[in-house]
Amino acid sequence: MIRWGIAMAVVAACVGYLVYSASGGSSEYYLTVSELRAHSPTTGDVRVAGVVQDDIQRSDGGLHLRFTEKDGTASMLVDYTGTVPDIFRPGITVVADGRLGADGVFHARAVLAKCPSRFSTTPYTS
Amino acid sequence: MSVALLDHPVYIVTLAFLGSGALLAGLVLAAFSALLSFWAGYAENGVMIQVGRRAFYATAAMILAAGVLLETALLTHDFSLAYVVEHSDLSTPIALVAAAFYGGQEGSLLYWALILGILGSASLLASARIGLRLAAYAAGIMAAILTFFLVVLVLVASPFDVLQITPPDGLGLNPVLRDGGMLIHPPVVLAGFASFAIPFSFAAAALLAGRSDAAWIAHTRRFALVAWGLQSAGLVLGMWWAYHVLGWGGYWGWDPVENVAFMPWLATTAYLHSSQVQERRGRLRGWNFGLVMLAFLLVVFGTFIVRSGIVPSVHTFAVSAIGPWFFGFLGVCLLFSVGLLAFRAGDLKSHAEPAPAVSREGAFTLQNLLLIGVIVVVFWGTMLPLVSGMLGQQRVVGPTYYERAAGPLFVALLALMAAGPLVPWRHAGAPLWRSLRWPAGAFAFLLAALLVAGVRSLPALLGLSLALAVAATVVYEYARAVGRWRLAGGGWSRALTLVVRRRRHYGAYLAHLGLAVLVLGLAASHFWQQEKDVTLLPGEQVSVAGYTLTYAGVQNRELADHSEFVAAMSLGGQTLEPARATYAGLGGQSLTHVAISSSPIADVYVVLAGTNGDGSASFRIFVNPLVSWIWAGGAIIILGVLLGNAGERRVAVAPVAARVRSPVGAS
Repeated sequence: MIRWGIAMAVVAACVGYLVYSASGGSSEYYLTVSELRAHSPTTGDVRVAGVVQDDIQRSDGGLHLRFTEKDGTASMLVDYTGTVPDIFRPGITVVADGRLGADGVFHARAVLAKCPSRFSTTPYTS
Repeated sequence: MSVALLDHPVYIVTLAFLGSGALLAGLVLAAFSALLSFWAGYAENGVMIQVGRRAFYATAAMILAAGVLLETALLTHDFSLAYVVEHSDLSTPIALVAAAFYGGQEGSLLYWALILGILGSASLLASARIGLRLAAYAAGIMAAILTFFLVVLVLVASPFDVLQITPPDGLGLNPVLRDGGMLIHPPVVLAGFASFAIPFSFAAAALLAGRSDAAWIAHTRRFALVAWGLQSAGLVLGMWWAYHVLGWGGYWGWDPVENVAFMPWLATTAYLHSSQVQERRGRLRGWNFGLVMLAFLLVVFGTFIVRSGIVPSVHTFAVSAIGPWFFGFLGVCLLFSVGLLAFRAGDLKSHAEPAPAVSREGAFTLQNLLLIGVIVVVFWGTMLPLVSGMLGQQRVVGPTYYERAAGPLFVALLALMAAGPLVPWRHAGAPLWRSLRWPAGAFAFLLAALLVAGVRSLPALLGLSLALAVAATVVYEYARAVGRWRLAGGGWSRALTLVVRRRRHYGAYLAHLGLAVLVLGLAASHFWQQEKDVTLLPGEQVSVAGYTLTYAGVQNRELADHSEFVAAMSLGGQTLEPARATYAGLGGQSLTHVAISSSPIADVYVVLAGTNGDGSASFRIFVNPLVSWIWAGGAIIILGVLLGNAGERRVAVAPVAARVRSPVGAS
């Protein structure tokens, strides 16, 4: 019983250390566009959620994108190179992962879209 | 049914009424079965136990009837039902219309209840030997769980709600989901989720009945293995689907939806191992109950998380009224489980003498602790947004967190998987060190080879080498079996007898081998994936990781509901055709068709990012080494589960002391 306790304590200590060290180094703030505007934080990457506006500019065969992400009142320009999820289009909510540059443009290294786990596109209202 | 009937409004209304009626009847029967089974079990009234049990079968029949009615409504395009309108349309292929049964919130709950009803009935039919009272309590608990689902289905999320005006067509299916994967991944995952309730019910029933001996384990283990097999298949199929359809070159993103499916799998993996310690040595009794209950609680917790939308996820499930219901259900299940364990704590003390640290028991114990550690890591990562959001600004963690925190635990688990099966029960002696030569040799061989090849990343070195060591241990076990078979005189019938007699043993090792193959695929594709973004004119070439692709040109095709650009890329003798479709009817949503050239060594994975006016096209190209090993490993694991679970022989629940010391490698 004592040995069981010691083994548990050792594993618990290791897991605790791993969780602590890993989450300290790699957690990111999850913000809306207005929260980003209000706090204007910091160093490190952040994830910013907002709705894609109707001004998507593609260049380089669609691999380079600029678009405005907006929530309620605040908006920001996002610059991103890479492929975007299929459902990416004006009006959907995306989460841009990256940082706000000195030029006021948000440089994203990833753009995630909410995946439709529902079959339907929109709920039916009659 | 005739077509004339379909146009008749009375029929259509009747279908919805019949469905609602079946659910309501199911609810009454389930509640009746729960109450009666508990009372009859307590009173040990054999007749009433039978009645309670039959009420459970009748509940399952009612749910099945409701399921058939919903499927009929979908297949006949009965757009008077809101569910049919919201989840299908006339242009959707018929197989996907059928799949809409479990594609939406309400239908998936009905599907869940259906699986629980069917598996629950099977488990009760097979429970003749475990004692009347225990079986009655188990029926009562399963009926109580079904009662919860049916209350939700009747009151909050009915698939049989009727629209006031019947529209001419439905809203259809998002194109991302218009894929064959939709036909197999969701039903397997949902069935896996549903099946965890069976081991939970029997464990809780054993505690209620005060039967903490190993009798319940023999029964529970089988259904735990069913749940584990379904969940393994569901996880691998999910990865397969994401990889082939979503076009980001990966298969696992540590999203909350993936995490909550992974955690019950981890808890059940722990249980399948620790239950052997109880069967063989009579120890870890309370721990085993705890693990079975934990797996079920994690399933309910996961359902609550993904259906309530309280943590940010790439997946959005319909945020609906069922969140609070599942939260309440989670609370009740948690209180019930903890209360039951506390109530029986006195009976759960182990009477067997403790084993030395280096023994099979010791290895299983350490493995269990490490698996719980992984659950803690994943749980914390999933819940961090919620916890940090309560304390201040919301924070999230990405894959880096999981790799750093869970990675070392996975390495330790692999090392245990390589050595553990060779460690004998109770006492390790000289034979252990001799047999460890095999995995140690395989480990050293691959480590040296990788070092010579210039690999310097420690996680890659350890992950791949240890996976090979795991495989070596399994091969060694099988080689020993072949040796015994030769010694016994050989012959096919004898080989068959040998395998069949110890199928649990060989099934388990087959699952180990599958996992080793899967880990090799995961590690190689994770550490050595190569990626290139490129824009090419027709005739131009690009080289990625030694693969040369030539862009031939792009074609535009106009089809019924969408238009698509199809690019042609030649790779060696074959032509890859990545495409991008645009659905005008769905707000111009586009859909990528990834082109994959798969071989055992590497997949060449081409995504068409876009096309330009001058005939050039942009691509994102991945080279993913050994990805096909992941799918092969998954298939081997399922074979192992099938072998290990096929008509298991009666497990003798002999007193521990009567057992003689077992030889190395026996299980």
